[in-house]
Amino acid sequence: MINVKRIFMIGMVSSPLILSIVYAQTESQSLTLSILSEKTLSGTAGNFVTVNAQVTNSGPNSINDITTYISLVDESNKMPVDLEDWSAEKGLFIGTIDSGKTLPLSWKVHFVKAGKYSLIIIAETAGQEIPQVSSIVHFTVKPKINLNPGQVLPIALGMPIAVLFIMLLLNYRRDLHKAE
Amino acid sequence: MINMFKHIWLKELREQLYTWKGTLWLVISSLLFSLISYLLLTDKELSLLDQTEMMWMISKVIIGIGLLIISIDASSIVTNEFEKETAESLFLSPIGIKDFVSGKMFASLTLWLLIFVVSIPYIFVTSSGTKLLFPSLFYVFLLGTLGVLGFIMLIFAISLLFRSSKNTLTTSLIIILALAIPSLFPTTLKNNSFSAALGKVNPIENIFSSLDNVLVDYHASLFQNWQFIIPLMLFCLIALMFLLYAAKNFKKAGVVKK
Repeated sequence: MINVKRIFMIGMVSSPLILSIVYAQTESQSLTLSILSEKTLSGTAGNFVTVNAQVTNSGPNSINDITTYISLVDESNKMPVDLEDWSAEKGLFIGTIDSGKTLPLSWKVHFVKAGKYSLIIIAETAGQEIPQVSSIVHFTVKPKINLNPGQVLPIALGMPIAVLFIMLLLNYRRDLHKAE
Repeated sequence: MINMFKHIWLKELREQLYTWKGTLWLVISSLLFSLISYLLLTDKELSLLDQTEMMWMISKVIIGIGLLIISIDASSIVTNEFEKETAESLFLSPIGIKDFVSGKMFASLTLWLLIFVVSIPYIFVTSSGTKLLFPSLFYVFLLGTLGVLGFIMLIFAISLLFRSSKNTLTTSLIIILALAIPSLFPTTLKNNSFSAALGKVNPIENIFSSLDNVLVDYHASLFQNWQFIIPLMLFCLIALMFLLYAAKNFKKAGVVKK
């Protein structure tokens, strides 16, 4: 038997909670993140590339305490990358965006290690459980090989030998001088 | 007066160049530069570094090794005269304390110049293919000379006060370590105002920051590096004042027995 009274009571208690979740989702969804740079970026290790994006509040109300940050994933080993050397600014605090406004975002990313990576931009709003995520940008970083054994080897071996030779020559001269 | 200063300078140079002990420093520094440059240009992981960062690293190593060697040399160059009791005969001749100190100072600076000359091929090979060879050479020489000059004067002042090579060497190494360690901290640890203020007056940090400014950020003009060069010049001035104070208060009593 369906207990109508119990269902009514549960509905009364849970409806504000459901409404707040729906409102929160709506507010989060009214925030859109779009990447303006190309979907695929490539370069050589050591290069810098700027990822341009924008955040738009398409909702009817202003949204407060927005923080945006980037996340980089190494596609070959499916592991997130520590951004220590990749980007000087990992997160950007935006603050408030008024209704209908758009703000530009940009991150200078340093290609550190060769490989294939994917980057997304995430926006968090204070008090919201679900963040807003941009589409994925794919990176292909080619290795920059600074290997130069052809030039360094003669110097690395030759210089200590040359200094040692000069040292021996000076000591020989001193001994010769003493003998005289 | 010039002859007396020249006499001391040439005497020290002869002692440094015609002895194994003196020239061994050059071989050691050459071996260390070889090891670092060989690793940077042949190790696969290290070779992935940006070339300017490699140049920054080798420039820091050259100045760091130069500072260490010159500090060890300067710690004993004055005090040895007291410990071996050769200072007595020196001061009985018409050699003033100024000639004595300036002659020794130029001898130490000449050793730095020799270390710099040894380092030139390494700078040349690491900067190959870039336009940063001459800025790199110029700034390693300029910043290294200012840093070395300041430390020589500071160590000579300590030598005249202590008259013991062991005490002078220990104090000098403590000062160098105290100044070098904070400059190796990552930038995230230097964000507070206290660390930033300390960094502005630390001569070693100013040397490394200026090299970073020139080689990594491509700010190669002197105008763009005054904020690092002026504190280094101030450090030299303070060290000179300390040396003048120590020289003024230096008493020949105890050195000259009769």
